[in-house]
Formats: sequence, C-alpha cells, structure tokens
Amino acid sequence: MPMYQVKPISGGDIKVDLPTCMYKLPNIHAQSDSGSCIDNVLQNGEVDPALKALEQRQDEILRRLYELKAAVDGLAKTVTTPDADLDATSLSSAPVMSAPKEVADLDSLLGKDLGALRDIVINANPSSPPLSLLVLHGLLCQRYSVLSTVHVHSSVPSVPPKLLNCLGPRHPDSYTRQRFQLGFTLIWKDVPRLQMKFSVPNMCPIEGEGNVARFLSRLVGLEPRDPVAATLSDSWVDTAFFQLAEGGGKERAAVVRALNAALGRGPWLAGADLSLADVVCACCLLQTGTSAASAPANVQRWLKGCQNLDTLACINPLLQ
Amino acid sequence: MTKEELKGAGEEGEDQAQSKKALKKAQKEAEKAAKKAEKQAKLAAEQQSTEEDDFAKDRYGVSPMVQSQQKLDRVLVRVQELTPEKADQLIWVRARVHTSRAKGKQCFLVLRQQQFNVQALVAVGDRASKQMVKFAANISKESIVDVEAMVRKVDQKIESCSQQEVELHIERIFVISQAEPRLPLQLEDAVRPEGEGDEEGRATVNQDTKLDNRVIDLRTTTSQAIFRLQSGVCQLFRDTLTNKGFVEIQTPKIISAASEGGANVFTVSYFKTSAYLAQSPQLYKQMCICADFDKVFCVGPVFRAEDSNTHRHLTEFVGLDIEMAFNYHYHEVIDSITDTMVQIFKGLRDRFQTEIQTVNKQYPSEPFKFLEPTLRLEYTEGVAMLRAAGVEMGDEEDLSTPNEKLLGRLVKEKYDTDFYVLDKYPLAVRPFYTMPDPSDLKYSNSYDMFMRGEEILSGAQRIHDAQLLTERATHHNIDLEKIKAYIDSFRYGAPPHAGGGIGLERVTMLYLGLHNVRQTSMFPRDPKRLTP
Repeated sequence: MPMYQVKPISGGDIKVDLPTCMYKLPNIHAQSDSGSCIDNVLQNGEVDPALKALEQRQDEILRRLYELKAAVDGLAKTVTTPDADLDATSLSSAPVMSAPKEVADLDSLLGKDLGALRDIVINANPSSPPLSLLVLHGLLCQRYSVLSTVHVHSSVPSVPPKLLNCLGPRHPDSYTRQRFQLGFTLIWKDVPRLQMKFSVPNMCPIEGEGNVARFLSRLVGLEPRDPVAATLSDSWVDTAFFQLAEGGGKERAAVVRALNAALGRGPWLAGADLSLADVVCACCLLQTGTSAASAPANVQRWLKGCQNLDTLACINPLLQ
Repeated sequence: MTKEELKGAGEEGEDQAQSKKALKKAQKEAEKAAKKAEKQAKLAAEQQSTEEDDFAKDRYGVSPMVQSQQKLDRVLVRVQELTPEKADQLIWVRARVHTSRAKGKQCFLVLRQQQFNVQALVAVGDRASKQMVKFAANISKESIVDVEAMVRKVDQKIESCSQQEVELHIERIFVISQAEPRLPLQLEDAVRPEGEGDEEGRATVNQDTKLDNRVIDLRTTTSQAIFRLQSGVCQLFRDTLTNKGFVEIQTPKIISAASEGGANVFTVSYFKTSAYLAQSPQLYKQMCICADFDKVFCVGPVFRAEDSNTHRHLTEFVGLDIEMAFNYHYHEVIDSITDTMVQIFKGLRDRFQTEIQTVNKQYPSEPFKFLEPTLRLEYTEGVAMLRAAGVEMGDEEDLSTPNEKLLGRLVKEKYDTDFYVLDKYPLAVRPFYTMPDPSDLKYSNSYDMFMRGEEILSGAQRIHDAQLLTERATHHNIDLEKIKAYIDSFRYGAPPHAGGGIGLERVTMLYLGLHNVRQTSMFPRDPKRLTP
C-alpha cells in the first residue's frame, strides 16, 4: 500500500514531435513499462537466471566471510591471553630486583629510529621550573648522548639566565644533531600545565610534571622492577605533586609525617634503591622551601642524602 | 539619391502628424518655461535671502589653491592627539572627510588622518548658519579640509572612531583640496573582512581594483598598518645588524652577467650591447667580504624574470641581504641571521601591536610565534618527519612547496614555532657555489629559513676556494668563461663566509599571516602588472 498518491504533474500521453536525426530512447514517463521486471517475475513465477547467479555468488562470499571470522576469533583467543595459566601468587616472590639494570635500548623503548633525532620537547612555565625533570635530564645524559637545548617561546617576555643555563653547558658537538641518540628540548613557555611532546603523529602530548617524570624515568631505569615497589613509587609521585607541590600547609605537613614513617622502614621510599619517588618527593620538598633542618629526623636524614647525590646537584642553582 | 528618397517618404508621413505634435510640443515647452521661471525666481529669492542672512559667510568655503601665498603660524593638531586633555580648547585640524551625514540642522562628519579618525559636528547655532551646514554636508568624501573646532568630551564612547572620547564642534571649515565625487572604490568596502561582505550582501573590493587604484587603497587603515609595520621591519633589520657591527653596502643593479645561472633574468639594452638586472646582490656581497668588510648587509631591489603568477612571487621585490665572514663554523652565521630575525620579531611584537591588531581586524590570523634561540632542524630530520606523516620522497630530493607547508605544520605542532631553520640540504639541489658537507658529500653546508611553513631565506656557506669552485662549476656544466670574474675574486685570499637574503614583502606577509604578497608590496610588479 503506497503512503499517498499524487496526481501526475504531466500526463504520460503528451505527444511530442521528436526529431528523427538522433537515436531513440523509450519514454521514461510512460507508465506502461515501469516495474515490469518484478511484475514479470511475480506473474510468471520464473526468476531471471542472471539474478539467480548473483544470489549464489553473494551467498558464497558471505559463507567465506563467516569462515574467516571464526578463524580470526580462534587466533585472538590465543593471543590476548598469553599467560592465562601464569600463577599470580608467584609474582611478588620473583627475584626481579636482582636482575642487573642494563642500558635500555632506545629503539625498543621509543620505537624505531627513522633517521630523525628522537627529540623530547618539554614546554614548561618559567614560574615553576620542573626540578624533577632536570634531575632526570642529568640521569639521561649519563646513559645516552643527549642534545640538550633551551629555548624561550615568544609567549614569555624574558626568563632569568639561571633558567636558560639549567641544562648545563652546551655540548661541543651540538652543531650536528645527528650524532646524538636523544634530544632534550626545554621550551620556557606560557603554559598552564607542563607539557611534553615526543612523536606528534603517533602520540598525544603528556601533561603534568609527574606524568612526564614517569615517562623519563623509564628511559633511565629509575623505576623499580619489582611491581610492588613500582606501585609504591608511583603512588608517592602522585602524592608529591598533588599534595606537596599543589596542596596547602596542612596537607603538606601530613605528607611529611607519612614520609617520615615510610623512611623509618628503609633508606629509600620504594625498595632498596633510589627511585623516582625519592627524586620527585625531594624536589617537591625543596621547591616548597622545606629545609632539611625543620623536618622530622628520618626525612632530615633522607633529604640530606638526596642532596648529596650528584644527580640532584644540578637543581641547586635554581633553589637559591 | 536613395537617401533623399527615403527622407522624402518619411516627411510625407510626418506631415499628417505635424500639426498635432507641434501643438503638444508648444504646450509642453510653455509649461516648462513657466516652471523654470518659477524655479529661478525661487532660487534667486533664496540666494538673496542667503546672501542677506548668512552671518557665517566667511566661516566656510573653498580655499584658493595653496600656492604658498602666505605662511600662517597656525598650529595644526594631529587627530591622534585629540584626547580628553584637549577638551574645551579651540584648535585647528587638517584632515580628510571620511564620511558625512546631514540630518536637518546638523551635519556629522568623520575626519580621518591616516589610521586615526574623529567625529565632528556642524550644527546650526550662533557660530554656524544653515548654509554652512549645507555646505559641510556637500563636501565630497576624501576631500581635505581645514577645520577650526572646539574639542568636547562625549558622554558615550564613539565606537566607530579611533578617538572615542572626544568630538569636534566645528566653527570654521575650509576645503583645501576637493575629491572627485565619484570614488573608484569605497574605503569601507576595501577594509571589509573577506566573507563578511558575502553574508550581508555588502560589497568587498577585489584585489585588482584595489591595486589599480592603489592611492586610495593605501589610505585604508589596513594598508596604513601594513606599510608602517613593513617600514618597521626594515628599520629593525638595519638597527640590529648595525649594532652587530655590520656595514651597509650598495651594490649595482645593472650587471653584465646573470648572477645565478642564465634563466630568470631581465635583459635591458645597454648602449650598443645588452645588460641584465641583478637577480641578487650575492656576488657583490661576496666580493665585499673578500675585500675585508667582514660583515655586510644591503637593502635594495632584486629582479626575477619568473613568469609565475602565484601568491608569493613578484618580479621586483626588496631584498634584505646579509653576508658575513666567520671563524670556524658557518653556524656562527646562522646564529647571527636567526638572532637578527628574532630581534625583528620581538621589535614588531613590542612596538607594532596596534598595527598588527588593525590588520587582524580585516585579515584574522594567529599571532606569530617563535623561539629564542631559533630552532634548527636538519634536512634528514625534516624528511623523516615528513615520512612519518606519510609523504614519500627521496633522501636527496628537494622539498616541494606542499611538503614545505606540511613540514611547517608538523614543526609547529611539536615545537609551537612559526620560524625555524632547516640545515644541511642535499648538495644536489643547491647552486654550484655551495660548500659541500665535510663528512658526507651528499649534503652541503646550506640552510633555508621558514616562516609559517613558507621559505623566506635560502643561504649557505659559499666556496671561498677558487680551485674547488672551478671543480663544482664544471660539475654543474657551467661555462667557466662567464663566471671568470667571480672565481678570480677568490684567488687572492678569501675568508670563509656564508650568508643569505630575505624578501621584505614576503616577511611582512608571513609575519602578518596575509595570503598574498601583493598586499605587502606598495606598487607590486608581477608578470601581469606594470602599473601603477
């Protein structure tokens, strides 16, 4: 049943004097021929053999697609759950910590080198210099050959010279970028939150000093291998940035107490070695102006230990 | 013969209608004459009355042409200086009539001086008569007038004028130079942002009309701002380089041999032979270096006979060229050039903010961003970035214009800068005098600088050794006879040097984010335009 009917605007029976000089086409307005194909099928009960062949071909394609889907599903099962039979309880007792920290392979960490210098670009606001990242930069330089450059973006009128020199003296080979394994480009820019850009087409920018610190710590192997210690370290990183750096006085005091308690249990915050947690917490404490003298005993000892490390020496000029 | 016959036939037909027609005609004429007489009487009466009661007769009029008849000590105040501090002072102003609008017993004028304008008012009162208002209303747009007026503060800001807090109450007005009543283009139309005109059914003026009537087009606020900023670019370029110890030199523009190969040069007749217009002052800059000037720059016209009608090519443009001797590494020169550019950008950002805003009103664009020190990438890095973005190209292939643009976008995405240097181009795509890279013969000590993804400078360390230069020239199949003078200038000891040149128009265009270099060339020359 059609929805509604409309009278034809022009009758199909208009006689038109057609020129004879060209080829002829059937009248498309004429009613008599329309839908003839289906009508014929219904009336005669016979189907056009061409249509039948088409139907068969489509069925065949669908069948093959189903087969393919089944095959892929089977493969996916074996791929997505590779260690389904691994015993979770054995994880913590695994002697991961004893594994030696070998120099991480940049290709495996950052993806294949395409001939371009792998340049880590960090946009930081000069009003809050990212101390922890400067420490991590120092560690990167120990491990790889790093081309470090500092720029000032046009959104910032000027920056003090100590910020321009915060990555240390210029590398003597800095005229050939290709000789370096890694680039570390620090741009002082008017950004609300610290931002890191690495591979623009494949990776979205990383925001926040804590997250960038995590990224860099993986390149220098500062992250504990033991999953439990890694989780602990991770949680301290969050605490440091959300409660020490951005929190109020009360929050800060609470964190210092918690640090004191944690440091009573061991020399470092997470595990038996210096980890990202120590670097980040120490930097945040020093940046907020906490002096070693006013802190509780364990924190005092730990903070002094941190400050005596070579790796943290680079932030001293910025603290004055 | 035939003509007369035809005429005769026509007359015969007319004869019949003659009497009726003539009657009507006579009647009409009589009516007309009556009307005319009436009008004339009225006019005469009016004139009489005006002559009688126009007490303000000598407070307005068309001044005789200024032929320096007398030297008046009258102080003319700039429109720009009309601020509330000047309120209630009687001052003289010379300005153009931007618009005028009569409304009964008063007439509002907007007086313009360059990019500044102010509202002025003539109203019937004890200082102005009805006739004076009428006269003011009839002054054609763009005429230059001298106005004596009282500065008055206004209660409500005048949004349409640059001087928003005051208006002028005119007491005398004299036309100094009258504009023809029909303007080839309206200033309001010429500054209307693209797209806005289409929506509201208003006119915008197309590029060619603007360029054909450049004198009027240059009066618009946008053009005023563009060329003030361009003058700033030149000024900053000179100041920065002079401070760095550079010497400004002048080089000849008529030369005997084409400087960069034979193509793209204009030939001019030179007495009995022919000469060429200089494509670049490069050879002369280099000769100055060989003559121990150490660091030189020059500002002057450069000619290119390229038949390309694109948004960024002109056949004559202003080149700002730098050449500099260095100690050990050509990056000393890159650092010098990029620092000069950064100083220019900073100067423009700090000193020309109003101009930038004015241009942005008509041609909106993002503010120009840059890094200090300037970002330097290497060619291979650029190629790798392009490949990562899906472009297929060879290692030693030159960048095509679309690829340059794309690379500009990629660099901006990552480093957020509109200005960067691409260093170490493949040797194969550079001119013969380019110094090859010491470690890899595929590459060279050459660089391009980009603004908003478009090349603005192309430069290199030049070969300063006659023997190597000869080798490279032979490699490029260049006739050694033709460049003998050039090669010879390096035979008597030459310091290592590098340099480059930028186009003033292109830099202005790209800094402002405009889309056509003709907008930033005062009287542009391209393959299709030689006038005005």
